[in-house]
Amino acid sequence: MEYLSSDKIAIIDLASSEITEEELDEDLVKERIGGAGITTTLYERFKDEDPIVLGSGLLTGTLVPASALGIMTAKSPLTGKVCHAPLTLYAGMELKYSGFDYIVFKGASEKPVYLWIHDGIADINDADEVWGKDVWESTDYMREVIGDNMIQVLTIGKAGESGSDIAQVCINYWASGDRWGFGNLLGQKKLKLIAIRGMGLLEIADPEGFVNTCRELLSEVKAGSFAGKKGIAEIPVAMGEEDIKDWIAPLIHRHSSCFNTPFAANTFVYLDEDPALLKEPDIEEPGFLLTDIYGLLGFKKLGSSASDSCRILRDCAKYGIDAVAVAELSQKSGRTDPEEIKKSFPGLKGPLMSSGKGVFSPCTPPKPIFTDFSLPSDGSGDAQWWERRQAVAYIFGIDPLFALMSPELSEEKLLELSNIGTELNLTSEILDSVIGEITK
Amino acid sequence: MNFYEQYLAINKKLACGERVLYSQREGNHSHESGNNNKILHYPRIGIYTGTGASHSWLWFVEIFERVCFYDLSFLDEDDIKNGKMNEIDVLAMSGGDTFSIAKALGARGSEKIQSFIREGGLYIGSCAGAYLPLNSSKTYLNLFNYVNAKITNLTRTLPVAKTNSEKFCTPYGCSFIFHPVREAVRLTPIEVIPFKGVGSLLAPLYGGPPMVASDQTEVLAYYSDFTDKTIFLVDESLARDTLLGKAAVVRKKMGEGHIYLFGPHFEHPHFPLANKLLVDVIYWDSRKISLPNGYVPRDHMVVQGADLKRLIRIIKREISNSRIVAVGLETMPVNWLIGKKVYEPAKIREFLEAIWTRIKCLENANQIIISAGKDDLLTQSVLEITSLLRDIKKEIDNEMAGIESANRLFKLLNKTSKLFLEIYFRSNMVYFSSPRVYSEVMN
Repeated sequence: MEYLSSDKIAIIDLASSEITEEELDEDLVKERIGGAGITTTLYERFKDEDPIVLGSGLLTGTLVPASALGIMTAKSPLTGKVCHAPLTLYAGMELKYSGFDYIVFKGASEKPVYLWIHDGIADINDADEVWGKDVWESTDYMREVIGDNMIQVLTIGKAGESGSDIAQVCINYWASGDRWGFGNLLGQKKLKLIAIRGMGLLEIADPEGFVNTCRELLSEVKAGSFAGKKGIAEIPVAMGEEDIKDWIAPLIHRHSSCFNTPFAANTFVYLDEDPALLKEPDIEEPGFLLTDIYGLLGFKKLGSSASDSCRILRDCAKYGIDAVAVAELSQKSGRTDPEEIKKSFPGLKGPLMSSGKGVFSPCTPPKPIFTDFSLPSDGSGDAQWWERRQAVAYIFGIDPLFALMSPELSEEKLLELSNIGTELNLTSEILDSVIGEITK
Repeated sequence: MNFYEQYLAINKKLACGERVLYSQREGNHSHESGNNNKILHYPRIGIYTGTGASHSWLWFVEIFERVCFYDLSFLDEDDIKNGKMNEIDVLAMSGGDTFSIAKALGARGSEKIQSFIREGGLYIGSCAGAYLPLNSSKTYLNLFNYVNAKITNLTRTLPVAKTNSEKFCTPYGCSFIFHPVREAVRLTPIEVIPFKGVGSLLAPLYGGPPMVASDQTEVLAYYSDFTDKTIFLVDESLARDTLLGKAAVVRKKMGEGHIYLFGPHFEHPHFPLANKLLVDVIYWDSRKISLPNGYVPRDHMVVQGADLKRLIRIIKREISNSRIVAVGLETMPVNWLIGKKVYEPAKIREFLEAIWTRIKCLENANQIIISAGKDDLLTQSVLEITSLLRDIKKEIDNEMAGIESANRLFKLLNKTSKLFLEIYFRSNMVYFSSPRVYSEVMN
């Protein structure tokens, strides 16, 4: 595959530490486009070996607005279904430029290992020194060992190592959209973490046309209904939940977005320093990046203060456990004290209402945000629309939250950009077929 | 067709033993004879990479590769002292720290360079390499008094630096050599081969000399103007007085050979016309001795198959690891004074990229040619670079200066680039010059 691709798939046998490489067949892209379309195909190919498949969308890491998404596909230990978790922040983009379009992990290692991928090189290394560390320590460790603060680390914490059903694969220090217990799966495979750095380049079939179309699209997108809004606290009202803006406001230090995403959906709160501080903080880690709206709402509903809610979220991220599940299980057991909740992490389990029922992570609201996408006002079309919209995001590599707030990123536009970028003749019929395959 | 492609086609013919005249180098079929014509020879070029050389020797490599001058050797001070110049026609001395270069080469190095030139060799000095052979009374530099020309940027009273104060001057005994401008300047060549018919051209100046030549030294180009890219490090009127109308390129005949001194970097990869003139200089004035095409030294061996894959993978992995750390260092407010030169982190990647951009070619090769034992040395070196860079990152994180480590690192980068490029060009040269010989070597 010549364009928008590194033309390489790594197949990693964790049992033997053997790594084989394959080219990405252009015919596969013509048939399955990319992202979840291809991770699903690869999953099926290796399904007897309980694979985990990482990949990027066809447009991930490009000038296309919100092209931030990477995808992790595997069978959820929680639901038993083949599901997709979003890799946001900068992880999807770094994966796209790492020299591999897709990475398949099959089998299980006997001893703890980690994968370091960069510039088309994949190395499985011994993880003895990092096994046992929490998510934050693991990320710090890898960045120090490799000598770069920009590497993206997909890591499990103690939850994943100890086989928790609700263990999460975290992105660097922060919660991810893994609501499928994929952290548990990594732990079972003794795969502590995946460190990624992308310094590669992508070829584009018609660079000038691609840049111009992206520039025009960005202008349209930026004029969208989210204009003037920023931060995680804007989301709850838009999804029909209570307004948390005043509740969280005293802690807010800044907002940040995922790669090339026009809406800054993540909010950094200061918990151990004054958020109004203008100078560099005196302590190394003064707060926490809020990336998980349902986790935040979950602890608010428990009656926790904003500060306590954020502290519990931070504890969850360090332990590598799904905060939404922790909030739900804490509510069921009547635990509200932050220390009690933290102590309950080991062994926390139980049936969950909050787990997704479909194949895409329920980390995004099940309806349009800030706009209505011309859907019926009674919400009758929301579920079907949401699934298709998520499928499109996971195929092309668009931030799945932003996909819910920007009708300008239409299927037609994404197909047009894909065709300008690749010179392939991808059609809406092909897209329909891929969506049908991955959502069945 | 640009000049690189034109010259590449010419060099292909030369490397395979075809006869091409100087007047035919740009694709015309003139057979003009007399003083304006010469038979071209495929040159054997030595590039100085030893103590004191900055990354700018890699620019020579880049330009020579673009025109397929593949017969490149990479010489350090010991190679020069030990007679390796017998195997070359051209010595390219790049930018760097002139004082360190002079000290490293010493009297023996100077003798060897002199005999090389007197016996017909071509010396090309750029920037520091141009200062080196100018008359001087300073210790070590006075061993290289080959060219009687004065520099006009020498002062006892240092002017005020407007910007880039760390790159603005170099102490020179009780005086200072100051650098009035940086980046592109305009030059006007004179109507003499090999600069004839050029009009004017641009080339970047990074501290090279403005000169006033004596009678025995021929001026080939003058500094004639500044450009909108020129950065003034001193007051503009002082810069004008110091530079404009002064010699930017001079030539001196010495015995059978020639010395060319370039104040600006004609080898900088972004200046095609300057690059062309540099290559024309080599065509016009390089020594006319050549070894048989496809010559492979006896101590070299062929590496192929699994051994080749393993070697390339290690190099690729470690250079990638190093690039990743180096990119991170570029965001940090740090630089190092090594000898009399200031090095910033961006210089690290100049070396790493020189290797990185060429790995793909070796990855696709079926076999490479390598001097015995150099594969292990290269493996060791690339591993050491990664480790040293990671140490430097830790030192900077801990607010340590890291000068010692940086000093070691730049030496190692020089050495490793040299090792890698030797393999790269030796392998390319054999194939390029003679597929037949290549095939025999392989069998």
